[in-house]
Amino acid sequence: MQLALVGLSHKTAPVELRERLAFGEDALRSALTSLVGRQDVSEALILSTCNRVEVVAESADDRLIREFLCDFHKISHDVVSKHLYSFRNADAIRHVFRVAASLDSMMLGEPQILGQVKEAYRIAAAAGTVGMHLTALMNRAFAVAKKVRSETGISQSAVSVSYAAVELARKIFGELTGKTVMIIGASKMGELAAKHLKRNGVSSVLVTNRTFDRAVELAQVFEGAAVPFEHFIDHMDRADIVISSTGAPHFIISKTVAEQIIHRRKNKPMFFIDIAVPRDIDPTVNEIDNAFVYDIDDLQQVIDANLKERMKEATRAEQIIDSEVEAFCNRMQSREVVPTIIQLRDTLEKVRRDEIERNRRHLKQMSPEQQAAFDHITKSIVNKILHHPIEHLKQNAQDPNGPDLVDLFRKIFNIKSSR
Amino acid sequence: MHVVLLRLALALYFVGFAHAVLTALNKKQTLFRPALVAVTAGLVLHVLSIALRAMEVRYLPLTQQYEAFSFFGALAALGFLIAYAKYRIAPLSVFAFPLIFIMTFISNLFYDPSSSIPPVLRSNWIYIHTPLVFIGYAALFIAFAAAIMYLIQERALKSKHPVRFYNWLPSLELCDDLAYRALAIGFPLITLGIITGALWAQGAGFVWARDAKVVFSFLTWLVYLLLIFYRLTGWRGRKAAYLSIVGFIGVLVTFLGANYFGGLHTFNQ
Repeated sequence: MQLALVGLSHKTAPVELRERLAFGEDALRSALTSLVGRQDVSEALILSTCNRVEVVAESADDRLIREFLCDFHKISHDVVSKHLYSFRNADAIRHVFRVAASLDSMMLGEPQILGQVKEAYRIAAAAGTVGMHLTALMNRAFAVAKKVRSETGISQSAVSVSYAAVELARKIFGELTGKTVMIIGASKMGELAAKHLKRNGVSSVLVTNRTFDRAVELAQVFEGAAVPFEHFIDHMDRADIVISSTGAPHFIISKTVAEQIIHRRKNKPMFFIDIAVPRDIDPTVNEIDNAFVYDIDDLQQVIDANLKERMKEATRAEQIIDSEVEAFCNRMQSREVVPTIIQLRDTLEKVRRDEIERNRRHLKQMSPEQQAAFDHITKSIVNKILHHPIEHLKQNAQDPNGPDLVDLFRKIFNIKSSR
Repeated sequence: MHVVLLRLALALYFVGFAHAVLTALNKKQTLFRPALVAVTAGLVLHVLSIALRAMEVRYLPLTQQYEAFSFFGALAALGFLIAYAKYRIAPLSVFAFPLIFIMTFISNLFYDPSSSIPPVLRSNWIYIHTPLVFIGYAALFIAFAAAIMYLIQERALKSKHPVRFYNWLPSLELCDDLAYRALAIGFPLITLGIITGALWAQGAGFVWARDAKVVFSFLTWLVYLLLIFYRLTGWRGRKAAYLSIVGFIGVLVTFLGANYFGGLHTFNQ
């Protein structure tokens, strides 16, 4: 197997260039077919997202792929060459594993990339440009990504404001089903946080805003209820989570008010998320028992801590990937058809010779001509036995199931890896 | 035979103990599955050991100090497994497993093969009074562990410096709920335990009010009564957790101190 990978990403190229080299879905298909149509490229797959364009191919020559990228997008090689990276064989495998496991992502550990890689594989499979090598590589990459995610904390903790809000709410309430969130003021970020909370189980949404119409509008989006701004405090005891993002120049929820509300709630805990600047909620509300106040800086602090945690987990992920790359290379080598056939012949030849050696005593009585004939006969028996299996192996090795077939052969004939 | 089983159980509980120590050191759950399996297996052997001892002495094996510790260890293990089955709170193990191990360990230290039963304890009341108290203690222990987890988690949330150690702790609401439910089970049990104890003493003609353990357990009971009262008026969270911890310290003083106060509950008179 000869692998070559050429690409560019947010780490090597500005967005203007990434845009120019990106493939739309239709372009992807024609690009794949035209690439595999070229000489010396037998399989290919293209991953094109807003952060990266990568071409992975079964080919001995990465320059071919560079040329292809430039030709296809009608861009001069001089313009892109310093932004492109190329990897071959083990390095290409490592890069594919790292990308799928989200170690190369702009937001370390973000989960979407795996879906995008799977989609790229699906498209290439539909276009018929992946064979046994890329199939084996990509399936392994998916498994490695899953392993990295489950064995390290790289995707665990929240690294955006709205996810951090959900994560903290979970620490207070556990399951969010049956909980109520109140949104005060209408801001993009507040809306986003509410959306995430709702997706994570929050049952009802209350919306209040200085402009009542806007509150009604937003309430419709969340299938919730609008509350007039003048007496939102009266409704607040129903809310377990409060997201505030008004443009008010002063605190709109004081410690005394919060105390009264908590009291009305019979001390049931409340989580205040204050994403307004200047702040809406008096920070001393946090001193009240069963009340938890997080402002935008507090949330950012949580995110920073989580990011640091992810970086630490990334080193562990790299170790997993190192050992996976090595294991994959070894397996690929042992799955090669030609070496397997050679080893198969050698194995049986050794059996033949060993047997002759063991029975040398009996064979001594034969004349040299007889011995030569005997040698010839045993050889041709071995060859006849091997003829069909080897033909079968040669014919079917390029199938998607080819590697399994090679494996099976190695197992039943007890062929050890050459390494 | 029963002592061999008890020691095997202790060895298995040690896996749980190791899990708790490693988890606290690594700040991340370590060896939980093996520990859970080991503690469950340990409990089976432990129960078997208690049953064998019961058959040997033909009485409830709770009249000697080592038997009492052993019984408490087994109940703590049972309490943990029930709470775990219901709530799936693995972190509870960090508190429960060391307690189970230490109780069983002390039991092994005090092991005394004599099967003489003090005549004062020869009464059918022992079958009612002691299990009630012990099961009640086990439930209150769960409440105590839940309260500690609550306080750690609450402190982390209030301070706004989330630490990785707390990621595996359950949510505040779950800790509080668990503490309340365990209290709701434990409190009636120790109440009944105290009542049956009083009836037993009266029937036997003791002046039970002069027994140190009786006095302490009554004080402890008052703490829990207060907690129940406050809970009903809407207390929850931190304050309830503090009181729950105070109550359990009372339980420990009552239980561990039994031998040193003198009085009816002293073993090996």
